[in-house]
Amino acid sequence: MPEIHFTIDPQTGEMEMKVEGVQGPQCADVAKIVTELTGAPEREENTKEYYARPTVKPTIQGLKQ
Amino acid sequence: MSKYMTFTEVVFKDRDLLVAALEEIGCKYIRQGENLEMGRYYSEQIQRRADIIIPRDTIGNCYGDIGFERSGSGEYTPIIDDLDQRRVFNGQFIPRLRAAYNERVVSKVAARLRGTVHRAVEGGVVKIKVRY
Repeated sequence: MPEIHFTIDPQTGEMEMKVEGVQGPQCADVAKIVTELTGAPEREENTKEYYARPTVKPTIQGLKQ
Repeated sequence: MSKYMTFTEVVFKDRDLLVAALEEIGCKYIRQGENLEMGRYYSEQIQRRADIIIPRDTIGNCYGDIGFERSGSGEYTPIIDDLDQRRVFNGQFIPRLRAAYNERVVSKVAARLRGTVHRAVEGGVVKIKVRY
């Protein structure tokens, strides 16, 4: 299940965000929702998951054996 | 010397969240509109206009109003007198506001993703986990 981890420092008001459990660039969709409200981040880096390809198992339906 | 300063590096994109955050940190009087005139209380303060205004003397801002000016891209930037900036909440006005605003951002993101929220304070920082 995907998770977003937010850390807010009350001393500065700054927020950090990390998206986990989302492979590939889909996490950019989550980032877009956040940046719509916060503005562009000062720093941004992609995790290993960003570069991972989702594993898709092909299924064939409707075949009778 | 008292003068209004604009914090262009601090932006708030959502007006409703900004107003809610201002209320949360204790701003009871908030003027809202468009291109409102900010008070000019000292000769050094040049006339400024803003779209959201916390009137002088309502949250410890004894040198001037606190304003939020909407930019062409829709972002709100704070305008505050330099002396008030150091004085209100012991210089913590903008950090507190940012923290309150960002907590609301998280709530809104969680709602949009239909996620569950788990909030904890660890080592003086707020950690919020949204699972969706």
